[in-house]
Amino acid sequence: MKKILVANRGEIALRIMRTIRKMGIKSVAVYSDADRHAPHVLFADEAVHLGAAPSSQSYLNGDKIIAISKELGVDGIHPGYGFLSENADFAQKVTDAGIEFIGPTPEAMRVMGSKLAAKDSVKKYNIPMVPGIDHAIEDVNEAIETANKIGYPILIKASAGGGGKGMRIVERADDMQEQMERAISEAKSSFGDGSVFIEKYVTSPRHIEVQVVADKYGNVIHGLERECSIQRRHQKVVEETPSAVVTPEMRDRIGEAAVMVAKSCNYVSTGTVEFLVDDKLNFYFLEMNTRLQVEHPVSEMIIGLDLVEQQIRIARGEKLSVTQDDIKPNGHAIELRVYAEDPLNNFLPSIGTLTKYQKPVGEGIRVDDGYEEGMTIPIYYDPMIAKLVVHGKTRTEAIQKMLQAIKDYKIEGVATTLPFGTFVFEHDAFFSGNFDTHFVKNYYTPEKIKEKQKANAEVAALMALKYWQEQQKKLSPVDHKSTSWKRRLAH
Amino acid sequence: MSESTKTFKVKANDFVFFFDQAAIDAADFFKKSPEEFNLIMDHRSVNARLLEADINGKKIKLEVDGESFDMEIKDPLDQMLDSMGFSSASTKHIKEIKAPMPGLVLEIAVKEGQEVKEGDRILILEAMKMENSIMIQSNAVIKRIAVTTGQAVDKGQVLVELE
Repeated sequence: MKKILVANRGEIALRIMRTIRKMGIKSVAVYSDADRHAPHVLFADEAVHLGAAPSSQSYLNGDKIIAISKELGVDGIHPGYGFLSENADFAQKVTDAGIEFIGPTPEAMRVMGSKLAAKDSVKKYNIPMVPGIDHAIEDVNEAIETANKIGYPILIKASAGGGGKGMRIVERADDMQEQMERAISEAKSSFGDGSVFIEKYVTSPRHIEVQVVADKYGNVIHGLERECSIQRRHQKVVEETPSAVVTPEMRDRIGEAAVMVAKSCNYVSTGTVEFLVDDKLNFYFLEMNTRLQVEHPVSEMIIGLDLVEQQIRIARGEKLSVTQDDIKPNGHAIELRVYAEDPLNNFLPSIGTLTKYQKPVGEGIRVDDGYEEGMTIPIYYDPMIAKLVVHGKTRTEAIQKMLQAIKDYKIEGVATTLPFGTFVFEHDAFFSGNFDTHFVKNYYTPEKIKEKQKANAEVAALMALKYWQEQQKKLSPVDHKSTSWKRRLAH
Repeated sequence: MSESTKTFKVKANDFVFFFDQAAIDAADFFKKSPEEFNLIMDHRSVNARLLEADINGKKIKLEVDGESFDMEIKDPLDQMLDSMGFSSASTKHIKEIKAPMPGLVLEIAVKEGQEVKEGDRILILEAMKMENSIMIQSNAVIKRIAVTTGQAVDKGQVLVELE
């Protein structure tokens, strides 16, 4: 492979291009009207304009991306995550155009992209699953009937969804109509498929997932687990590996289950098998994400593999160079997703210009970002600014390093999830490892952050007064008077 | 007013504090360097860095614990002037619904002149791939719709006006 096009934007496009360059391969960026000045465009060897800012007219325009690839002699397309990354039709068209799709096969994406087909696929491997209905629906009345049968709370999930998008919990029958309508509409506009899936909502669940890596010759290994239970709006915001609750024995079992899931669909490339873990540490297969995950850096840090490099090597036909026995956890890694969201205002998007942007640096600190000082966060895309990832010898060391890195991360102009990160990493429940996906609901209120801010503000205010009075004394009032007298006398 | 009871008002970002001269004098403040300060308050040892200072304009910016604070100092005279200037400010009630976040108007569910009830959906705002129903919190009549479907709106922009 000589030239790879990255069909994405922001931090992930940049992160992929860095590996591409490291491997001596040329990179091609694509961009919308909103991203002409974005770092991924400036970094790439070649860059091509796609269209207007909305993703439907730019980053989702698969045909145009393929046409550009042919014109520029691209021999591989990396889709990143989001956008076209789990679109089997796009992967098929890329393959049909004689270009290598750096990711799984369209068949594997189709199977795992449909929750129903995925469940069918893993059935014969005896992998435990959460109770729910066995077909996707688009009819509101049928959904209400089904939900009443399963019992509330229930979870509505877009059949073609992922990453928490198009997912809604319904606690009461009264809310079902409105929530179903919104879920279907959201699924249609985000994924082009309005069908949804309904299942029992397991209370007190942990979200633990397993990284898998598979080559084209049937070799599959797992890259240990990632604990992703700290979520807001059912989307991950903090991830770590290893999990504080997974024992070596459970690690082997859950890892093996993940490898089975990958084998059931003849998986190729990197992928992630998600499990729901209950309070007794029973795990249930949720779904497989047929892409590179946002949180892949925590795995890279403790298993010592560059997962994008693995994807490219696999795509060009190389066999896995490591075996399962080579995969040993080295220390502890934690990631905080830095979103342009206001943790004091219900995590609503906070759009604006980064009037100040300085990232933390140091040993064991990695920042994957796609913005620079002075840039504006566009409203059209995911509001993630960066991933802040740290590595420590132990979990405690990693937590301390993370807290310092958050302090050293200076962002002004937009509200971010950084103060929320401090709240999480200082919290006893997080420290003890005893938490589930309800962490935010159970422990977090904006007042907790505000109290801390107020305490700091009070000290700052007093220091400002002290300093101001001290500086004022240096101005000699006598000089002033004499100057003005002189001026009066001159007239 | 005696010197020690002179009260200073300090606005620090969204917070407001009052300190009298006695409290300022008693504060355990240490200047490590022209830009590095330390203050012990309630046994907390807090370090700060001076970012900006406008002594005449009474504006100071400090960084504490990784967070920056914009401070505005009001001495007793400033406070008196403020209270005179703003005491006559009218409390006009503008009845309107504003966008809680920037986004794209996906769908407008009401018409001008329509009577709406508490909890009715007014419109759907899409931001960052999430659809958010904007509901009304009380019964009202729609006076004017200030946006159109497909329009991008800023945070705080008026969406609809109410009678």
